[in-house]
Amino acid sequence: MDSVDTLYQYAWLIPVLPLIGAAIVGTGLISYGEATNRLRQPVAIFIVSLIGAAMVLSFAIFWSQWQGHAPYQAMFEWASAGDFRIEMGYTIDHLVALMLVVVTTVAFLVMIYTDGYMAHDAGYVRFYAYLSLFSSSMLGLVISPNLLQVYVFWELVGMCSYLLIGFWYDRKPAADACQKAFVTNRVGDFGLLLGILGLFWATGSFDFEIMGERLTDMVNVGSLPASVAAIFAILVFLGPVAKSAQFPLHVWLPDAMEGPTPISALIHAATMVAAGVFLVARMYPVFEHIPTVMTVIAYTGAFTAFMGATIAITQNDIKKGLAFSTMSQLGYMVMAMGVGAYSAGLFHLMTHAYFKAMLFLGSGSVIHGMEAVVGHDPVLAQDMRLMGGLRKYMPVTAITFLIGTLAISGIPPFAGFWSKDEILGATFAVNPALWAVGWLTAGITAFYMFRMYFSTFEGSFRGNDEGIRRDLKRAQFQKMGMSLGPGAMNPQELTLDAAHDEHDEHGHHAHEPHESPLSMIFPLLALAVPSVLVGLVGTPFANYFEAFIHPPGEVMAAVETAEAFDWNEFALMAGSSVAIATVGIIISGLMYRTKAIDPRAIAAKIPFLYNLSLNKWYVDDIYEVVFVQGSRKLAKQVLEVDIRIVDGLVNLTGLVTLVSGEGLKYLENGRAQFYALIVFGAVLGLVLLSGVT
Amino acid sequence: MDLATFPWLTTVTLLPLVACIAIPFLPDDNGKTVRWYALSVGLIDFVLIVAAFYLNYDFSQPGLQLVESYTWVPQLDLKWSVGVDGLSMPLVLLTGFITTLAALAAWPVTLKPKFFYFLLLAMYSGQIGVFAVQDMLLFFLFWELELIPVYLLLSIWGGKKRLYAATKFILYTAGGSLFILVAALAMAFYGDTITFDMTALAEKVYPLRMQLLLYGAFLIAYAVKLPIIPLHTWLPDAHGEATAPVHMLLAGILLKMGGYALIRMNLGMLPDAHTYFAPILVILGCINIVYAALTSFAQRNLKRKIAYSSISHMGFVLIGIASFTNLGLSGAVLQMISHGLIGASLFFLVGATYDRTHTLILDEMGGVGKKMPKIFAMFTTCSLASLALPGMSGFVAELMVFVGFATSDAYSFTFRLITVIFMAIGVILTPIYLLSMLREIFYGPENKELVEHEVLADAEPREVFIIACLLVPIIGFGFYPKMLTQIYDATTQKLTARLSQVFVATEASAEGLAPVAALPVLKAPSLSQ
Repeated sequence: MDSVDTLYQYAWLIPVLPLIGAAIVGTGLISYGEATNRLRQPVAIFIVSLIGAAMVLSFAIFWSQWQGHAPYQAMFEWASAGDFRIEMGYTIDHLVALMLVVVTTVAFLVMIYTDGYMAHDAGYVRFYAYLSLFSSSMLGLVISPNLLQVYVFWELVGMCSYLLIGFWYDRKPAADACQKAFVTNRVGDFGLLLGILGLFWATGSFDFEIMGERLTDMVNVGSLPASVAAIFAILVFLGPVAKSAQFPLHVWLPDAMEGPTPISALIHAATMVAAGVFLVARMYPVFEHIPTVMTVIAYTGAFTAFMGATIAITQNDIKKGLAFSTMSQLGYMVMAMGVGAYSAGLFHLMTHAYFKAMLFLGSGSVIHGMEAVVGHDPVLAQDMRLMGGLRKYMPVTAITFLIGTLAISGIPPFAGFWSKDEILGATFAVNPALWAVGWLTAGITAFYMFRMYFSTFEGSFRGNDEGIRRDLKRAQFQKMGMSLGPGAMNPQELTLDAAHDEHDEHGHHAHEPHESPLSMIFPLLALAVPSVLVGLVGTPFANYFEAFIHPPGEVMAAVETAEAFDWNEFALMAGSSVAIATVGIIISGLMYRTKAIDPRAIAAKIPFLYNLSLNKWYVDDIYEVVFVQGSRKLAKQVLEVDIRIVDGLVNLTGLVTLVSGEGLKYLENGRAQFYALIVFGAVLGLVLLSGVT
Repeated sequence: MDLATFPWLTTVTLLPLVACIAIPFLPDDNGKTVRWYALSVGLIDFVLIVAAFYLNYDFSQPGLQLVESYTWVPQLDLKWSVGVDGLSMPLVLLTGFITTLAALAAWPVTLKPKFFYFLLLAMYSGQIGVFAVQDMLLFFLFWELELIPVYLLLSIWGGKKRLYAATKFILYTAGGSLFILVAALAMAFYGDTITFDMTALAEKVYPLRMQLLLYGAFLIAYAVKLPIIPLHTWLPDAHGEATAPVHMLLAGILLKMGGYALIRMNLGMLPDAHTYFAPILVILGCINIVYAALTSFAQRNLKRKIAYSSISHMGFVLIGIASFTNLGLSGAVLQMISHGLIGASLFFLVGATYDRTHTLILDEMGGVGKKMPKIFAMFTTCSLASLALPGMSGFVAELMVFVGFATSDAYSFTFRLITVIFMAIGVILTPIYLLSMLREIFYGPENKELVEHEVLADAEPREVFIIACLLVPIIGFGFYPKMLTQIYDATTQKLTARLSQVFVATEASAEGLAPVAALPVLKAPSLSQ
């Protein structure tokens, strides 16, 4: 027993280990940059083994929790003023144990993958330092015992995301994207902060359970209007809206794909973006008693799921497509939370983390292979119009990608089927309209994922088609010109970019893509295992997952036995979702595999819908005009006021003073120093004079 | 030598001033000797400060400690009296720390180095004096003494418009300080005894009308220093023209004198008037936060951008002071110290960047991150600290002000709500201007014009060392703020307790008069409840 308690006492090491790694490597980079940059392999091994140690600890804790060890909490006083104390610490319970395992395993595999993917990058060491810092913050977020500490780490993971999206800082799109991500997340944090303050004001606590209890009491007694409680809760929910890329704060996630692919997999698919769902789960004691909030959460999720899926249909950039798919899947999780399907939502969080990480790593492998042919240009290397037939060249990537595609499409027995089906089943019981949206989205998901698979891995390879390449480059220039706007467009920059590309063209390029190195293949294979199997822990007839993860305060009976389970209902629900997925797959097969239907003809028939999807529902354009331009204009006007009116008045009075002191000034030959001395002397004299009298 | 009776504070206050005298006799070798001399004096003084507090300061005592008092001009009852409490002690420490680093930051100064370091050391004394003296007249003297070196440092070593900036600075601050003098004299002569002793002044009971007038006079003086909009326009000019070390002192310490004096005098000596003025402070604080953040966003000049960001951050100090809660006041003090460190580091980095690019206009920069990765990394870290990233001191300070104000019972719910929303808007605006600044300097493709004409060398060890020194406490206080808050907790508690007594009394006596719509009890809910 003692050894188990020791395990819990040292659980804080889980986030601290990667932090130490990041701190050491970071210090090395700042003080002995060149020397540290040369130590590529040692740094990688060091960082990976630290996260590996954290992973082992996490598994040990998970095992102990699985065996039924009581939850554990350790706190210390962080800040205090008078009798007011703010405490920080860490907590270990079932949910935390699960999240620790998910985060550390994905982080561990992504770090191994990074070695291959970033092998030729000059920032290899820096990338490992950032990855380690992110892992630390994410693990810190997971073990947070109260809302305030969640907020602390919430911002820290946001910062890491900022640093990593802007990792290739000399690329303009990356520079814009990282700022957009941070600012959009700050907007969400604005709500989160206000909500935290409101809840604290009302309940006097940051602790999830206490907050929930007191708030419910206050609303029941009537000392706090239910509407106010709902507003606080919705404000808190704004945090997850931004972090989990829910409408209307989803705009940063697709742009975040400018970062290197390993972090797209780790941060923008598996872990950080799921933090929003995790926070909703943590806030369950507060949310579940406020029906308004649950409704808002459910509808936000459903709408986002649908929106993301419809946009994903027309994306040609493989990573952008996956980004919108992530957004859509996160929508499912949020919807599940909103309809009260607590464990189903978290179950999908877990399965999605594995299969989506694998899909992203797979796309990275594809990009890696494509770069050998088209050069290091994201516009060319990530565009699916230049891919095709890659299965021949990179069989392992193709198979794992196919597994991921089947999993996300909800085909049994892959992981995604069980979790998505559970969400849809629970939603149907609460709100059939939401179920219909989710069901339709499942079909679209299957369609766009297979579109992605077919155009990447099947057919013939189009990478050497100069015509398509030229078209893509032209489209890129046009887009840049448009986004810069007339007047702001800098022609020099464009030619610069073009020159840069030409330089790239001269590199030694192969005519065929190649399979990625072992360090990249291994994580793909490793992630394929949970993508296939992990769903089996949460089958409706033997739901071990739900027995382990259930809403706080709710006492669960042992694993639901097969007798209690209704086969008819399951067959109906599962049947309908598999059916629509199959329809999606077949249509996509007809369009992109056998080419029996021409997608362009369909697009031409419904130009409005096509453009709506292609332009991401125009949300970015609206934000650009309203918020970006608007705030710039406002700031300029305020500055004008400051210079012309506030300072203008001052200068006017200053002028008066100077004119009156003109004689004095000339007397002293304009020597300002002396002028100051006179002022000082006069004041001193005044002091003495007034003192004497 | 007896450690307990040794005149620690007098020594640390006057040591730099005395050390100045030797500077003219140092060899004139382009400042090579004098900079080592100044640095050693700064360091010795800082070590003495640390030793003095380590040996003699007791955190649990709210009152003045290390008190020394010598009669100077008996006719005037002018005494050389110094002492520190929880409020001034961390600021004295900060002064020693920042000034010593500024001496190191001034390494490349080649123009009249002897005079430069002379002024720097004189300023050192002036600043410590402001925080340490306990006599009103003496306070005023140090306040003024401190202006002259700043004026000269601005007008000799500044940028192109240095004379204009320096004159504006001196007119503003000298004008403002006249109000201090008048108010101080009025307070001293009021009542039966004539005294300039701050503790005695704080114990005098003034009629409300007089308190309000005195409060207004002090507020104008300190509003210039802090600064509070609309009395802030000297600051962008002064900061825009100052060299990096002067900059560090301006942002790191000078602005804090305003906040310190507001707490010491307005809040500590005139508590009745404070209950009337507090809502105004809150509104001014909100304006500071949002208005300055917007102007900062629109600024194209790097130094002015950071200067406006300082103004924005000072808004939190104002709101914390006016919050009537322990937590809020504690946050205000923490914000002053935290901004002292963060502001100094950012201004130093701006100076370091300018040394390389020779331009402050953002449009003429771009993509320099490739050539100067270390400066890029440090700039990013300090900007993140400035935008109140958790794990750094700025976050804790702002959070404490947020929570303190939100839970304050002194204001109506609506008023608090609106204020909190304004503060939160500031929290959104800060990353917008700081991150776009970073983007425009470091990100994107290299600016050909700049790269061809300037030598963009990366940071040298001296610069890395200075930033590392500043980052250690920034991150330290961010991780474990109690380290700092425990120093002054007893003092701020005492101040808040006194305020709340007065507050309750005011509420009871003048029901309709009090502008603060309030519940009668001041108490912050604690976690233990």
